[in-house]
Amino acid sequence: MLSFMLKRIAQLIPVFIGATLLVYFLVFATPGNPIDALSGGKPMSDATRSALEAQYNLDKPFWVQYGLYLKNLVTFDLGTSFSGQEVSALLGRAFPVTARLAILALLIEGVFGVIFGVIAGMRKGKWFDSTILVASLIVIAVPTFVLGFVLQFVIGVKLEWVKPTVSGAATWGELFLPALVLGLVSLAYVVRLTRTSVIENKSADFVRTATAKGLSRNRVVSVHILRNSLIPVVTFLGADLGSLMGGAIVTEGIFNVPGVGHLLYQAIQKGETPTVVAIVGVLVIIFVVANLIVDMLYALLDPRIRYA
Amino acid sequence: MTETATPKPLLEIKDLAITFSTPDGPVHAVRDANFTVMPGETVAIVGESGSGKSTSALAAIGLLAGNGAVSSGQILFDGEDIAHASEKRFVELRGNHIGMVPQDPMSNLNPVWKIGFQVKETLKANGLAGDNPKERVAQILADAGLPNPEVRAGQYPHEFSGGMRQRALIAIGLACRPRLLIADEPTSALDVTVQQQILDHLDTMTSELGTAVLLITHDLGLAAERAEKVVVMYKGRVVEYGPALDILRNPQHPYTKRLISSAPSLSAQRGDKHEAIVDEIVPGKVEPLLKVKNLTKIYDIRKGFGKKEKFTAVDNVSFEILKGTTTAVVGESGSGKSTIAQMVLNLLDKTEGEIVFDGEQIGNLSEKNLFKYRRRVQPIFQDPYGSLDPMFSIYRTIEEPLRIHGIGNAASRQKKVKELLEQVSMPASTMHRFPNELSGGQRQRIAIARALALQPEMIVCDEAVSALDVLVQAQVLELLDELQREMGLTYLFITHDLAVVRQIADNVCVMEHGKIVEQGTADEIFDAPKSEYTRNLLGAIPGASLI
Repeated sequence: MLSFMLKRIAQLIPVFIGATLLVYFLVFATPGNPIDALSGGKPMSDATRSALEAQYNLDKPFWVQYGLYLKNLVTFDLGTSFSGQEVSALLGRAFPVTARLAILALLIEGVFGVIFGVIAGMRKGKWFDSTILVASLIVIAVPTFVLGFVLQFVIGVKLEWVKPTVSGAATWGELFLPALVLGLVSLAYVVRLTRTSVIENKSADFVRTATAKGLSRNRVVSVHILRNSLIPVVTFLGADLGSLMGGAIVTEGIFNVPGVGHLLYQAIQKGETPTVVAIVGVLVIIFVVANLIVDMLYALLDPRIRYA
Repeated sequence: MTETATPKPLLEIKDLAITFSTPDGPVHAVRDANFTVMPGETVAIVGESGSGKSTSALAAIGLLAGNGAVSSGQILFDGEDIAHASEKRFVELRGNHIGMVPQDPMSNLNPVWKIGFQVKETLKANGLAGDNPKERVAQILADAGLPNPEVRAGQYPHEFSGGMRQRALIAIGLACRPRLLIADEPTSALDVTVQQQILDHLDTMTSELGTAVLLITHDLGLAAERAEKVVVMYKGRVVEYGPALDILRNPQHPYTKRLISSAPSLSAQRGDKHEAIVDEIVPGKVEPLLKVKNLTKIYDIRKGFGKKEKFTAVDNVSFEILKGTTTAVVGESGSGKSTIAQMVLNLLDKTEGEIVFDGEQIGNLSEKNLFKYRRRVQPIFQDPYGSLDPMFSIYRTIEEPLRIHGIGNAASRQKKVKELLEQVSMPASTMHRFPNELSGGQRQRIAIARALALQPEMIVCDEAVSALDVLVQAQVLELLDELQREMGLTYLFITHDLAVVRQIADNVCVMEHGKIVEQGTADEIFDAPKSEYTRNLLGAIPGASLI
């Protein structure tokens, strides 16, 4: 298991470099000068311009810029935004909010997704299964912003069960509705994935053998069908955790959540290249770590992978 | 064991009928079946796939597939009718009253749980784990003949070989000392020598425990050797039922007679021989069609962190095949026999040695010459379910090689496909059908027709009949034999089944661990085997004591 972990961690290095390089290059190649964005398009003396360029390392060649960026990223020195705030401080405020939102969303999709998926899979073709299939298809088909506004309007405004928007504090309770919206599409995928996997596993030979041993139905389902069926689901959830952590621009926008997505959106709008690149760099790290966790979980669930 | 030798039967199947409901209407899988298993007795149900043999046995442990049900009759277990017993009642019965050893050791253990865990939960479910379940598990595994049971209990199924997994499954089946054990083809996926060991062990264990065994098998030789009574099933009906030896020596039903004459194990024991076609060809005078010289295949096995280990799959193998003859390469799984087939077909690169076909070196052929070679040498593979493209109609499957090699036009190719289907005794209308509409034997006929399409000189049969029922197997072997007579084909026949070899081969190479341990004519190998290994293989063919 240890050698498996070390191997996976070693594999992360090229992934990290590749991803950050790509992001940096794309931003570098974007038309428009960030200094113009900073000055708001007003004329600026050459001296000021070159001083600013030096401050943000914009006067140096691409590879040097990228190298400095990488160095800063690993030391978590993310620089300052154009408004003079530390990017790490901005992230420090936004990130916990996004993390809470992501965890809630992941819990919703994981717990309900697996439960509904297992029930539907065990009762294939019955009314529960059919209902779940249709409902999940609807959820997948409807865009998030429609779903978000509808739920906000019905649950938040009409029924007044929860507050329709999130305050600056962004407490767990306030984040429930946005998390539901955020997790709903993935929930639909998890349900379908679990269902297919359960259907496949429940007709497996080893399940019949488990039944023949005299195990109760519940034990056969929980020990022999569930664990095997979770393997593909965990992969999906892990990848999803990575993207959830990246913040959800649409959902955070609808519910006014002060998270990473919101921050990133503002930075892009203002053309703040260094801020964008810094945030994206951190997100790459988060994504890569999330994937590492998935790999570990995967190996934990399936011993064949551990030894392969 | 509290049972005394009362004449009361343990399992009584009375007028049993089992029906599966399908979208095309009800399918009567078992009809009017009657047989009895006495305590401690071994009863074998023999039949081909689809005969209802497994279905009858599974009904007795409540494991019929969801759409199947007992439609009439009774299943009396110890006097209690369990034909329609509740799931709750079956949970009580399974494990400690009725155990099961399933067919395929590869798929019947859950890959994500340790072996010990899978044994332990059996004990727990039946309330027999005791104070020290770990010790009990080790004891059970040791009883089933697994060495190092403590270590083995901590391993996962993928760390076990097929034979060891089957031992683990036997351990699970017998863990709770059931009074009846249903053994559903417990060894058909294993090599003959392993099969013999495992069945011997099962015999010993069940006679010690006084367990009655309901043995399901397609091999009449094996059934007769292992069981006191035999039930022969055909198309859902019991066609013959009685003491094993009576049935074998004096079969009444025509189906049983056919089974006895086609069972490879029995015919090999009788010494039914393959008649050579080319007596006039004297080795040495005629240049052999295929010459394999010092052939070696070495694989690199990764051991993590860039460490590599060499594994020699085929080790310095040499043999020759004369035109128009059949050479069988026999060995157990892992002996390297299929690797040879793949290298001869040029589907796998050799590490060292020579393969010479008709005077030409295979392996460094140019692309053009390789294309020509492919036309002259064709394969037939083991699994007719996997080797035919399910999306291709039969016509397209057989016509494809002709088209690729640019033979004829559409009209002449269609004519050719019809001829080929006729050659393998399939109606011409088959060409519009798809593989999933055909049975295993029919599919293998299609695979043969496809192989014949290019009029090859040599056909490499890699376990070509292993997946088929005995009667179908006999038919396919007969077909291969006829085609050889008609067209002077040369066969390289790869198989694990020595019994089949006797029916088809002129020459035999016996392989063990990548090496040829013995080669000679079929007569030499069967009548005067020189190596210990060959003698073991021959001794393991079931039914030796019966003929």
